Amino acid sequence: MPAPSVPLAVAAPRLTAEALRRMLAERFPESGRTRSGELPTGVARIDEALGGGLPAGRLTELVSVGPSSGGQSVLAAALASARARRARAALVDAGEGFDPQALEDQCLRHLVWVRCRPILRALQAAEILVRDGNFALVALDLRGTAGADWRRVPATAWYRLQRAAEPGEAAVLVQTGEPRVPSAAYRLILDRGLGLGAMGEPREEIAARLEPALARDAAHRLRRAG
Amino acid sequence: MTKARWTMAGDTMKFAVVRAERFALQALRRTEPGLAGRPVGLFDLAEQDGDGGGEDAASTGRRPAAATGGVPAASGVVEVSPEAEAREVGPGMDAPLAMARCPDIALRRRSAEAEREAQAALLAASFALSPRVEATAAGVCTVDLQGADPVRTAAAARRLVGELAAAGLRVTVGLARTPLLAGYAAVWAALRAAGTMAGEGVFGLNDEKAFLAGLPVAAAEPPAEIADILLRWGVRTLGAVTAIPKAEFGRRLGAEGVALWERASGEATRVLAPARLPEKFEGEWDFAEPVETLEPLLFLVRRLVDRLMLELKAAGLAAAALRLALRLEDEGRYERELPLPEPSGEADRLFRVLHTHLEQVRTAAAVTGLRLEVKPGRPLVKQPGLFDTGLKDPQGFSETLARLAALVGAENVGTPQPARTFRPDSCRLARPEDMVPAPPPHPARGLVLRRFRPAAPARVEMREGRPWRIEAEAVGGAATRDVAACRGPWHESGEWWADTRWACERWQVELAGGGVYQLTRVGAAWAVEGVLD
Repeated sequence: MPAPSVPLAVAAPRLTAEALRRMLAERFPESGRTRSGELPTGVARIDEALGGGLPAGRLTELVSVGPSSGGQSVLAAALASARARRARAALVDAGEGFDPQALEDQCLRHLVWVRCRPILRALQAAEILVRDGNFALVALDLRGTAGADWRRVPATAWYRLQRAAEPGEAAVLVQTGEPRVPSAAYRLILDRGLGLGAMGEPREEIAARLEPALARDAAHRLRRAG
Repeated sequence: MTKARWTMAGDTMKFAVVRAERFALQALRRTEPGLAGRPVGLFDLAEQDGDGGGEDAASTGRRPAAATGGVPAASGVVEVSPEAEAREVGPGMDAPLAMARCPDIALRRRSAEAEREAQAALLAASFALSPRVEATAAGVCTVDLQGADPVRTAAAARRLVGELAAAGLRVTVGLARTPLLAGYAAVWAALRAAGTMAGEGVFGLNDEKAFLAGLPVAAAEPPAEIADILLRWGVRTLGAVTAIPKAEFGRRLGAEGVALWERASGEATRVLAPARLPEKFEGEWDFAEPVETLEPLLFLVRRLVDRLMLELKAAGLAAAALRLALRLEDEGRYERELPLPEPSGEADRLFRVLHTHLEQVRTAAAVTGLRLEVKPGRPLVKQPGLFDTGLKDPQGFSETLARLAALVGAENVGTPQPARTFRPDSCRLARPEDMVPAPPPHPARGLVLRRFRPAAPARVEMREGRPWRIEAEAVGGAATRDVAACRGPWHESGEWWADTRWACERWQVELAGGGVYQLTRVGAAWAVEGVLD
C-alpha cells in the first residue's frame, strides 16, 4: 500500500529568509567567511576604499574608463607592493600591453608574466594561478581586448574564477575598460585622466593623486545582509 | 594456541620475515584495478598459450581461452582470491569447474612482470628494517635484525606494512629468533588478519613452544606425500609432529621426514643471502594491449613511482629529475626529461609532476610500453636569506608553470628580464626564480607605459619642430586630435655595428581631449607606442 502523500506546504516548515541564511551558513561555512588578508596596493585611496588593500580570495575589478586614467600605475604600484612584501605576483596580460621596461628590473623578479589571448584562455590561466598557493597577487589585465571576445565569455566563467580564488591567499585584480566582471566583490572606477605633467613626478605622488570611485562593494553588502 | 601470550621481546627479534599472502594475485591486482574485490583465479606462468591476456567469464559470456584451448583442460588454477574461495573455488581446479562454481570468476595468468615489480617493492620496503635483507622467495623477504633496536624495529615494521599497503601490497611481518620462526610468525599474522582483521600485520614471537604446538602442519610446508601420511595418522599440528621422537619420525618418513621434524621444532636455521639495492632507479612496463587513454597509463605510472620511491628511500636519496619514455605502437618513441624544482622523496609529488605532464602529451599512436627513470639526488638542505622571497610550495609552482606553458605556450610564460639593449620593447621571458632576493627601494618616476603591440601607425602633423596634430586609430579613431603638450624628442639608437641596428625618435604627447601617449618616429614613419597610464 503506498504511503499517504502529505502536502508539501504542510510537511515543510515555513522557510524564512533568516532561516534560509542560517541553513546556508551551516551547510556552506566556507562561502560566507570574511578574510583578514589584504594586499595593499600602495595607492592610498584604493587601500582606504577596500579596507586595507586588495582582499585575498576575492576579485577586485579596476575599471579604467579613459586613456591615462592611471590603471597601469595602479598595476605597477600593486606589483611593487607585492615585491616589497616579499610576495609573488602574476600578471595575465590578455591585451599584451605590459611593458617590463617601464618598471625597475629588480621590481620584476617576483613576477610571472603570462601573455595570452583570448579572454577565455586568460581566465583559464588566471584560474591555474589562483589555485597555486604561491601568489599573493594575480592581476588579470583585459584592457585592449576585442569586443567580440567579451561576448564569448559566459558569466559562469567569472563565478568559476571567484570560486577558485576563494579558498586561496591570492588577491585577484581584474583590469577592464568598462564594468564587466559580475563576480567582483569590489569595483573601482578610474575616470580622471592624468596629464603630461605627471611624467616628472615620483610614482608615489602620482598614486596619491589617483581618485578611484567605489562602484560596488558586494562584500559590504553581504556583511550587512548577514 | 590462542591462549598463549604473544608479546614482543627484544632478545627474540633477531629476524623478520615480510610476507605477502597470495602474492601472485596481489601483484596482478596492483596492475589491474578492475580485479579488486572480484573472484579471481590464476593459472601458472608455464601454462601461457601466448594469446595475450586473460578472460573474463562474466563479461565475455564465453568460455575463457584458458579453459578451451591454450591451457589444458586438466590444468588447474594455482591461486584464487578470497572472493573465489568463498564460492568454493580452490587451487587445483580446472577452468570449467571453477566457472561452473563461480560463473563471474575472472581467470587470468600470473604476470611475471607484475610479480617482478611487486617483489622489487617488497624488497625495497624491507630495507627500512635493516640493511641485510634476503629476497627469500616470491612475496617473501627475510631481514637480519641482529643489532637493531627492538622497539624501533617494531615501529618500523608497522610503518612498512602501511607503506606497502599504500603501494598496493598487503603484507604481514613476523619477528622471531630464527628466519624459520619469523616465517611462521608472518604466516600466523596473516591468518590472524584474515580471520578477524585484528592486529596491525606485525607479530612478534615470544613463547615459541606454545606457538608451534598449535600451528597447522601446512605452515612447515610438508611434501604432499608426507602431508597425506600425517593426515592419515591424525597429525595436524606442529606440536603433534614434535611429540613423535625425531628418530622414530625419520625412520618412518626418511630424510624428508627428518627435515620436516626439524622445521616443525623451529630449530632449523640458515645463513641469509643478502640482496643489494639497485644502483639505477628505473622501472619498465609492457602493456598487454596498446593503451590509448590516460587512466591505465597513470595507474601503472603510480605503481612504478611507488616502487622507485621505496628504493630511493632505502638508499637515503631523493628524486632530482624524472625521465619518462613511452613506446608507441607505430615503433615511435616519446621521451622527456622532467626536472624537479628541488629533490623530493614524496611519491605523491612525483606522481603529480608526471600526471600533469602526461595530461598534455598527445601521441601519434597508442602506447605499448612505459619506462620511468628517476635520477637520484641528495635531499635538499638549505637556508634561505631572511628577506628573500621563497616559494611556499615549489613543487606546486613548477606544476603551475607547466600547466600555463601547456595553455598559452612556453614562450609566453616567465619572468621578464631586460635584454642588453636600449631597443624599445625588448625583453625576454626567463624561468621564474625559486628564490628572489630582497627588493631594492622603488625610486621610479612618471606614468607607466602600456604598450600597443604592435605599435599603432599614426599620421603626425608637425609645427615648429613639434607634434601638432595626430591621426591614429589607437587614439580616437579617424578623427584628428590636437596635441595640448609634448615632451621630447629623445633620439635613441643602438646595435649600429650589426644588421639589427635601430634608431628612433621618441615623443610623449598629451592630447587636447585627454590621454598621454608615447610616439616614435622611425625615418618618416610615425607610430603610437602606447598609452602612458
